[in-house]
Amino acid sequence: MRQVLRLLSGRMKTTEDKIKLVSNLITVSGIFCIAVSLLLLINFIHVKSSKPLESKALVALVEQFRGDSQNEDLKNDIRNLDLLARKAFFTGNWQIRTGSFLLLFGGILFAGLLRIYHDMKAKIGAPLITGGTTQITRLLSQRWILIAGGLLLGSAMVASFLTTDYLKMYRETGRVAQVTQAPEVRTVEVETGDQETKRPGDQETRDQETRDQETKGPGEQRQEAGGVVSKDSIFTPPVARLQSSSARHPSFRGHWAQGISEAVNLPVDWDGPSGRNIKWKVALEKPGYNSPVIWNNRLFIAGADAQSRIIFCYDRNTGSLLWRHEASGIPGSPAVPPRVSSDTGLAAPSVATDGKRVFAIFATGDLVATDIDGNRLWAKNLGVPNNHYGHSSSLLVWQDRLIVQFDTNSSGRLMALNVNTGEPVWDHPRKTTVSWASPMLAELDGRLQIITVTSPTVYGNDFENGSELWSLECLAGEVGASAAVFDGLVYAANEYARLVAIRPGPAPEIVWESDEYLPEAASPVAGSGLLFIATSYGMFVCYDAKTGEKYWEEEYGQGFYGSPMIAEGKVYLMDRGGTMHIFSLNRTKSNLGNPVLGEKSVVTPAFADGAIYLKGEKSLFCVAQN
Amino acid sequence: MVILIWLGAFSILPAQQRFPKPEFRTDYTQPAPTTPESRATAMEFLDVAVLLAVMSLTAWFAIRKRSRKGILVLTIVSIIYFGFYKKGCICPIGSIQNVVLALANPGYSLPLYVLLLFLLPLVFSLLFGRVFCGAACPLGAIQDLLIFKPITIAPWLRKTLGIFPYIYLGLAVLFAATGTEFIICRYDPFIGIYRTHGPYLMILLGIAFLLTGLFVARPYCRFLCPYGALLNITSRFSWKHLSVYPTHCIECKLCTTACPFEAIDFPDSVRERPETRKSARRFILFFILIPVLMAAGGWIGSRSHVYLSRAHHTVALAELLISHPELRNDTDNLDIQTFLASGKSLETLAAEAQVIRDKFRTGGWILGAFLGLVIGFMTLNQLIYRRKEDYQANKGACYSCARCLDYCPVE
Repeated sequence: MRQVLRLLSGRMKTTEDKIKLVSNLITVSGIFCIAVSLLLLINFIHVKSSKPLESKALVALVEQFRGDSQNEDLKNDIRNLDLLARKAFFTGNWQIRTGSFLLLFGGILFAGLLRIYHDMKAKIGAPLITGGTTQITRLLSQRWILIAGGLLLGSAMVASFLTTDYLKMYRETGRVAQVTQAPEVRTVEVETGDQETKRPGDQETRDQETRDQETKGPGEQRQEAGGVVSKDSIFTPPVARLQSSSARHPSFRGHWAQGISEAVNLPVDWDGPSGRNIKWKVALEKPGYNSPVIWNNRLFIAGADAQSRIIFCYDRNTGSLLWRHEASGIPGSPAVPPRVSSDTGLAAPSVATDGKRVFAIFATGDLVATDIDGNRLWAKNLGVPNNHYGHSSSLLVWQDRLIVQFDTNSSGRLMALNVNTGEPVWDHPRKTTVSWASPMLAELDGRLQIITVTSPTVYGNDFENGSELWSLECLAGEVGASAAVFDGLVYAANEYARLVAIRPGPAPEIVWESDEYLPEAASPVAGSGLLFIATSYGMFVCYDAKTGEKYWEEEYGQGFYGSPMIAEGKVYLMDRGGTMHIFSLNRTKSNLGNPVLGEKSVVTPAFADGAIYLKGEKSLFCVAQN
Repeated sequence: MVILIWLGAFSILPAQQRFPKPEFRTDYTQPAPTTPESRATAMEFLDVAVLLAVMSLTAWFAIRKRSRKGILVLTIVSIIYFGFYKKGCICPIGSIQNVVLALANPGYSLPLYVLLLFLLPLVFSLLFGRVFCGAACPLGAIQDLLIFKPITIAPWLRKTLGIFPYIYLGLAVLFAATGTEFIICRYDPFIGIYRTHGPYLMILLGIAFLLTGLFVARPYCRFLCPYGALLNITSRFSWKHLSVYPTHCIECKLCTTACPFEAIDFPDSVRERPETRKSARRFILFFILIPVLMAAGGWIGSRSHVYLSRAHHTVALAELLISHPELRNDTDNLDIQTFLASGKSLETLAAEAQVIRDKFRTGGWILGAFLGLVIGFMTLNQLIYRRKEDYQANKGACYSCARCLDYCPVE
């Protein structure tokens, strides 16, 4: 300060004094810059690491508010804390900006003082006597230029060989990579093992796959650059998709009964009363709360009353009836059908088909198999089920086995029958109560498992031999909803019990659970990391499948008996009033439409490319964009 | 006087908003944009005129007036005008990309003033040397002001590092031509300082360059600047150029330590002359090597098209979806979710990506051949002995900063 005053007063005469002053000012400005830089750095780290809206205190208060939404004091506390957090964040940002300007000013001052100091101190240095580039220098430069150039081109070369050209592979194979399966996966079953990797909305990959589906078979190996691609490699063709094409909805809730369809170009708008986008509509001959089932151009349903039990086959493109087959003359079939409730009926279980055969089961215990043209192959009576509402577990067929869940008030059975003869391949009795849910297939822990939901137990049985792989007592009451599966977790729920996410295995455990919204009849469905629940009192809820975090919910005046289905990146859910509620498959609620059927409906829709098949109380509909 | 005129111009000619901001009923104030707002076309041509004036004055100060002080003042003016006021954009260095994109993409319209910004410094370099670098370039100007105690870099290292501007130029041209990105702008280390806002890593890099520049004079200009690579070539053919001495050289050697950029060539009297026969043989060998290097570089460049093309967002997205299809379920990945919501099929995306990748294959050939040519010529250049009679500024490397002028005692 004294030096500055001396300079200003003109008393600083010598250059040495001026140099000393400038040198001191440089030191001061340098320290100033360093100090501001450090403060800026600390502030920057703090601002970057703090997320004002995700502070633990705020999250805790919000959680508390969810359970006590009428608490005004809590509301105000949340608002105040939120405001404080935001203020702190923006104040931090302001500090960074101000600090940056200070640093800039300090930097300019520092640079200017350095220049002045340099100019004052500058003197012509001792000249170089010899110099310039010598021969050695030139040769050295040449060598190093070549080395650097060689390294550059060499690195580029190596990088080019190490890089995988995914576009080329996609062009040649038409396949995307698959999530690598566990080593125990049998490749023959890979044709059934792609459910976990494929999600609704994967229409683009499905399009590519259908190009080759006529020529590729299961477990086929392909030669790739560098060697043979093993069956378990990430580019193994997803043969499951070859069989589960978009014109096949072979059982209740589609392929493997998981509630996911690969159909595309599905309509989102129609109006039953006016006929808009209703391609055809036919009256039902017999009542039945079973859902439509599709194989290529054929659609199958069942109907039954006290007089007869019938399988119907329609042309799904025109609605014309191709054939009907009556389940009669079956040894052991009761003369008088059992008493069933009106909202179950005698034909609640959905038909199943494998494209060559069609199977149906009725509340009388009659089980019948026909060929695709309706000619009987075999039939048997399993015994009239002791079921006070009426048997409603749908059938499931895969490979050469027909899966029958036969849990009654008297006994519980899960059986696999030979599709050609009806003879048991295996028959697994179990101690459980009556269930109205249906079996589902899933690949879990490297094995194809049959998941069944009963009360109180959820089971996982081996598809091959029926052995019980795992079971967990977790439910109660009268179970109507079937399971859902996603990414290794099994979901089961029942009204007056709970919703559970189970990690199956030798020691199955509940990963998360909820008792807020529970279904009575509609089965949950999971896809794209989301789990959907539809209740009989009109709630439709979306959860995070892994954590159980609730993303959104929607309430309707009509309840849901039909199960939600995922198709083409959307969730379709029919309420009992016959209105289809369509949502985007997203954690953010996005309603895409609510077209009406014009009839009440309690069944789950079936999908094929460009069309949705719905069943009302009286009619069967085909909805397609006109 | 000059400064007063520029400052007056700032106040008289405000930036005209071509698209004025909406007015809100509430007290909401729009935040300042991080990139410079678009200005009226007249203002852009004013920038060209200012550039022209600064380069002209730099040439006058360097060649005729021989005044280091004048160039210093112009340097400060450039920092203020082209740096802080114009926020470093549009600059001739980045304009390379605009020109290349306009040549490669008929749908891209190149404004005249951008073309002028690109051409004028090159034209001036053909006339008067690298006067753009001397005082007009804001990137060079800020580095120039912070040279404190420059160290001498070994010639072999200096020459080797001299490859990088050409690599940067080649990549910038490739990425611009394929519509991938303007990498010169994205990785400009000083733009954050001029805008007092930017990615923190880039600001830190800029500060690192400036701190390095205290001891290694103009590190960005010498070892990275892609426009400098072009100016280095054109200024070798300049009609007039800054000279260390005003009339004649007395070989007093006082200027040997004057240039912080080591851009003063020494005369024959103090240099070692190579053996003629050996040099000729080497020259022929390396001359023949050039097409081999070009072919090898071109082939390697074309093979590199796979990873180079991943810089393009379409290719990156397509490969991501192919290699990791499970990411479709990742609702946090905005790129994928946006794509899925667009309704476009993966097949279409892959086809678009393949078209871009094919462009990179062709561009890779050209880039590799160019780099092979550069390496070949740089190597060859070491074998060429150019006769020098006195201490002269190297036309290619000299920035016309006029530091050396004060060292020469000749009047």
